[in-house]
Amino acid sequence: MDLILQLLFTGIGIGAVYALVALGFVLIFRATNVVNFAQGEFSMVAAFVMVVLSVDLGWPYWVSFLLSLCAMALVGAVFNLGVYYPLRHRSFLPVIIATIGASIFLANSVLALYGPQPQVLQGWFDTPGIQLGPVYLDSQYLLIIAVTIVLVAFQYWFFEHTLLGKKLQATSQDKEMASLLGIPVSAMIMLTFVYSALLGGIAGILVAPILFVSIQMGATIALKAFAATIIGGFGDVAGAIIGGLALGVIETFGAAYVSVPYKDGFAFLVLVLFLIFRPQGLFGERVAEKA
Amino acid sequence: MKLTRRGFSGALAASLAAPAFISRAGAQGTTLKLGMCAPVTGPAAEQGRYAQTGAKIALDAVNKAGGVLGKQVELIIEDDQTTNPGIVLAFSKLAAQEDIVAFLGSIRSTQVHAMAPDVLKLGKPVMIGGTDPALTHMGNQWLFRFRPNDSYSGRVLADYGVNTLGKKKWAIVHSTDAFGTAGGKALTEALGKIGATVALDQGYANQSQDFTPVVLAVKQSGADILGSYFTFENDLGIFARQLRQLGVNVPYVGSPSIVNVSALKLAGPALYGTFGVADYAEDSSEAAKAYGKLYREAAKLPPDNQSAWTYDAITILCAAINKAGKTDPQAIREAILATKGHAGAEGTYNFDANGDGLHGYNVVKNDKGNILFDKHIDFND
Repeated sequence: MDLILQLLFTGIGIGAVYALVALGFVLIFRATNVVNFAQGEFSMVAAFVMVVLSVDLGWPYWVSFLLSLCAMALVGAVFNLGVYYPLRHRSFLPVIIATIGASIFLANSVLALYGPQPQVLQGWFDTPGIQLGPVYLDSQYLLIIAVTIVLVAFQYWFFEHTLLGKKLQATSQDKEMASLLGIPVSAMIMLTFVYSALLGGIAGILVAPILFVSIQMGATIALKAFAATIIGGFGDVAGAIIGGLALGVIETFGAAYVSVPYKDGFAFLVLVLFLIFRPQGLFGERVAEKA
Repeated sequence: MKLTRRGFSGALAASLAAPAFISRAGAQGTTLKLGMCAPVTGPAAEQGRYAQTGAKIALDAVNKAGGVLGKQVELIIEDDQTTNPGIVLAFSKLAAQEDIVAFLGSIRSTQVHAMAPDVLKLGKPVMIGGTDPALTHMGNQWLFRFRPNDSYSGRVLADYGVNTLGKKKWAIVHSTDAFGTAGGKALTEALGKIGATVALDQGYANQSQDFTPVVLAVKQSGADILGSYFTFENDLGIFARQLRQLGVNVPYVGSPSIVNVSALKLAGPALYGTFGVADYAEDSSEAAKAYGKLYREAAKLPPDNQSAWTYDAITILCAAINKAGKTDPQAIREAILATKGHAGAEGTYNFDANGDGLHGYNVVKNDKGNILFDKHIDFND
């Protein structure tokens, strides 16, 4: 039982990271109908900015965190203007390829500017964790889970109970109709990219004390988050959260009870099963073309 | 201008012959070229930079001393991207340059396995740092190893754990790549020969983000000592932290990555008190100390095996080409194999017929982040 509880906690912690990044995938997909393959790199860039500010410059953690988020808002805006906006009238494929290109550009830019060394970023708390009976609760994982819950609640309130959120929803559902209703579509899409970059950045800064800050950290997380998004149902916020958590738990238990080397395999096995038997994901609506 | 048949034939012949003349002119150029596949990007980019620094320190020394065969030596570096396809591509780009006389390959066994068929096809010497014993025992006469192989590391780990630390029930954690699998197997075999038992043999895939299941398996195995073969330092850092967090405090002896600069930085106190086999230990010999001083001056970092092996490889390769007196691959090969008693940064090189230059390891201890040399164990068989 102790073992199961420990694995469950770790699985939920890892899954919460996937869920945070998956949320960014979902938001951009809903607003633009394209997958942003640079979402993981947002996490990596934010973590490196945090290292520069809090470790290299020695600025207070909170100040560094807020400034890192400001930097990510700027990255999101520039990303929208430089990658999505020029291709907004093209089909989804050129945009997806552009996001892949941007992902490579961001990774190599950080490599060129900062070098290849993985960096250590201290956690938010001085205490690394607490022992609760037989289960060790890593304080950083606890924080990640808490932040995920808060962000999901915020997102629900924002999209369902604010005018701006409803405008964003309208933009994602039908850009032309939204435009006819006077909603500034380009500004809404810009806001979506900024918010997604912030989400990715928060995920990167939170996970950095666990996985270290490296050029590869974004790609590693994004691949799983992408799988979580598909499992949850592309475009569905609740689906991304459940998909991310489920993926984290499945791979942790699969590694413990079946095979450690095939840990990543379990996640992608689930993904393949979903693609075959339920391609719309857990919460996605079945799409059928009318005759 | 009218194109005559004679004019056309002459131009065609000149066009066909030109590349041969151009390449020969290059071969007879002012520099002697060596190729190096190194991870400039990818998970091992940091280690790749150390490797390049070690090679360049050796190259500077060789060039200051007059170069090789009267020419200055030039190092052409290609990015292997820390992947197997990457190193195959990098080596193929270098191999296409006919004037490169010899090469430096990877420290990662899995990458050396990937490039080995092309090395055999090309038929030019390649210096390697991969420690899978099979690399120099699979009929490829062009691979020369500048680190001790894992049959030695397994024996040293087993000997130290059982005879010095007095522990007989082992948990072994290793990467599932060529290096980790071969290392785990070598340690298991060595333990079997000295009567110790393996309670857990646990593989993991590189670039894992979480080691909780592995750590819990170690805990449940009841082992009184842990041995490991980690390929990437970030994996080792995550593992070591989780090991301590989940309350596993048995003695821990590891393969060389456990004392690498990157691992020490990432894992911090989680690796205090651990032991490692290290092919490079700064206090193990005068040559190692001298190299450490050079590296610290050049890189402003403490040295480790990632740079020491490339330093030795360039030094010995250049000496061998000078000794051979020509750039003929077979002559260079024979000169490398004839290298005996060379005091390098990694140890004393005595090449055997397989192409293995070193035959033992240092044992070191992580004393609150400082790597203390304990002893050197060499094997004659």
